[in-house]
Amino acid sequence: MREVGLMQEVDPMLEVDLEKRLDGFQLAAKFRADAPLVALFGPSGSGKSLTLQCIAGLVRPDRGRVALDGRVLHDSRQGVDLPPQRRRIGYVFQNYALFPHLTVEQNICYGIHRLPPGEKREKTGMLMKLMRLNGLGDRFPGELSGGQQQRVAIARALAVEPRLLLLDEPFSALDSAIRGKLHRELLQIREELGVGMLLVTHNLEEAYTLSREMVVYDAGKVLQAGSREEILRRPASRTVARFTGAKNIFTAVVDEVVTPGSPGGTEGFLTLNEGHFSVHAPYYPYRVGDTVAFCIRPEEIILVPAGEGKPPVGEGQLPQADRPAAENQLVGENRLAGRITGEIARGSAYTLFFALQNGLFGPGGYDLQIEIPFHTYHELGLEELKDGVAWLPRQAVYVIGGEP
Amino acid sequence: MHAVEPIKATAEGAELMPDLFPLFLSFKVATLATVISLALGIGIAWLLARRRFPGKDLLDALVTLPMVLPPTVLGYYLLVIIGRRGPIGRLLEETFGITLVFTWQAAVIAAAVASAPLLIKAARAAFEGVDRRVEDAARTLGRSEMGIFLTVTVPLAWRGIMAGTVLAFARALGDFGATIMVAGNIPGKTQTMPIAVYDAVLGDNMPLANLLVLVTTVAAAAVLIALNRLERSAFQRNRHAGG
Repeated sequence: MREVGLMQEVDPMLEVDLEKRLDGFQLAAKFRADAPLVALFGPSGSGKSLTLQCIAGLVRPDRGRVALDGRVLHDSRQGVDLPPQRRRIGYVFQNYALFPHLTVEQNICYGIHRLPPGEKREKTGMLMKLMRLNGLGDRFPGELSGGQQQRVAIARALAVEPRLLLLDEPFSALDSAIRGKLHRELLQIREELGVGMLLVTHNLEEAYTLSREMVVYDAGKVLQAGSREEILRRPASRTVARFTGAKNIFTAVVDEVVTPGSPGGTEGFLTLNEGHFSVHAPYYPYRVGDTVAFCIRPEEIILVPAGEGKPPVGEGQLPQADRPAAENQLVGENRLAGRITGEIARGSAYTLFFALQNGLFGPGGYDLQIEIPFHTYHELGLEELKDGVAWLPRQAVYVIGGEP
Repeated sequence: MHAVEPIKATAEGAELMPDLFPLFLSFKVATLATVISLALGIGIAWLLARRRFPGKDLLDALVTLPMVLPPTVLGYYLLVIIGRRGPIGRLLEETFGITLVFTWQAAVIAAAVASAPLLIKAARAAFEGVDRRVEDAARTLGRSEMGIFLTVTVPLAWRGIMAGTVLAFARALGDFGATIMVAGNIPGKTQTMPIAVYDAVLGDNMPLANLLVLVTTVAAAAVLIALNRLERSAFQRNRHAGG
């Protein structure tokens, strides 16, 4: 007896190279992914769903190639175009696309109607238990909540044991309150069944929580594909940095390059001169005089009131105690004096706008957007019009790749 | 004259059944015509709703035309095509020895051609109303295209198809112009109910006209109620679909 979903030891390897013109929209997407969880991330209408449809064989690309584990699903040059029925790719649609005239059980059984009745019942029972659908077998989709409908859609897709499961904006139709719970559930299902998942989302938090690898989309193009850490710490362009929530983006000239292993810095670093301020950044192979762009995420800046000395310990971004001594000498680096010029209370956190002493903007404007947890804000008495010191931990200064 | 005899019999109130022959014939013709419309119409409706192909506009116009043409014009076209000198008529006569014109079978053809467009229009709209993503979902689950059509598309389009079938049946039952052109007005052979009513009124046989009209109305109402029941029972099953 085969197991549901067939535990997959090896992550699916997906190669995608697509070109498709559609009503004035042009998709040109190329990426490779071989992680258990991959997220296509980008704004609405950037071609993510169209990519899914091409991978599943529901839309035929004008030109391109799609291969899964080396098995060619589509190749316009070789004239290969497998129908969706033969691709072994599951699809969970944004609105779930359940069969409204069939019960939950009939929905789940739909793809395995050829199995012997006993086996079919066993498999359906296992999936219903796994997806917590017990007791709902005789209900119709219209009688279920959004979350339940989604679980039926996933169970239905898993019944045919796909090699890869595509999920199109799986949580966008659901309450934000239950999303976190559903995220955990999805990860748990993936762990249990070991099925590869490729999901589409325009929500950064969701993409980050649910994926190991991310493919960043904009206007029909792939801006960057890589591990989620790479996307965050080394964005390929200003657009990627903006999409991933790095509110503070600057252009600077490389003033100093300390290569790894050289005296004075075992890991090496760069000194970047923005014109109004200088910061140290992790080492990348640039030369003195190069122009680069860099960004700092608002939640990675540490802000203390002026005259309070060292920044608070225990924020997590401080250099660790076991780092080489040379590192620790740099605790005072990247500290910029200025004034808080505005604030927005956002429930669990405050967004503060910070103008540097000799910054780009005059009074009322700001150079840095900083996010401070609620309790830190109150403990340190940070408020509008107070002078402060912003500390930009070196590891939080992300140098943007590509053209500045 | 043979044709006058049964009418005389009615006038004397001796036997009712021969007078009701036009009614039976009409229901037989309309039922067969509706079956033919369904068999051909569902496929055409699906093609028009779901496929792109050269000549689609032409096919669309061709299946709509019988709805706009006067029935006698439609009947004339049919006469030209299936008449003894027409292309299909001659072929049938030469190869099989079959003559279609002025038979009840010709009445079936006339009623089918006149009523099919109503069914095609309704079924096409119903197919277009089926969420393509639901069909796509079925594809990714490995079902064959025919399997998807029978288990997803038709059940979800069921109400529209039924509504079209009811309309087509009513249109077939009531056809006068096209039928009289190709099947004629032969009492006891091709005289359908609408023609018999016309004949009776023309012959000043009001009791017969009244009888035919009354029985037709009751029978038609019964058929409509039955079909509506059928449609609603299917809807009941789909109640939870939310539309």
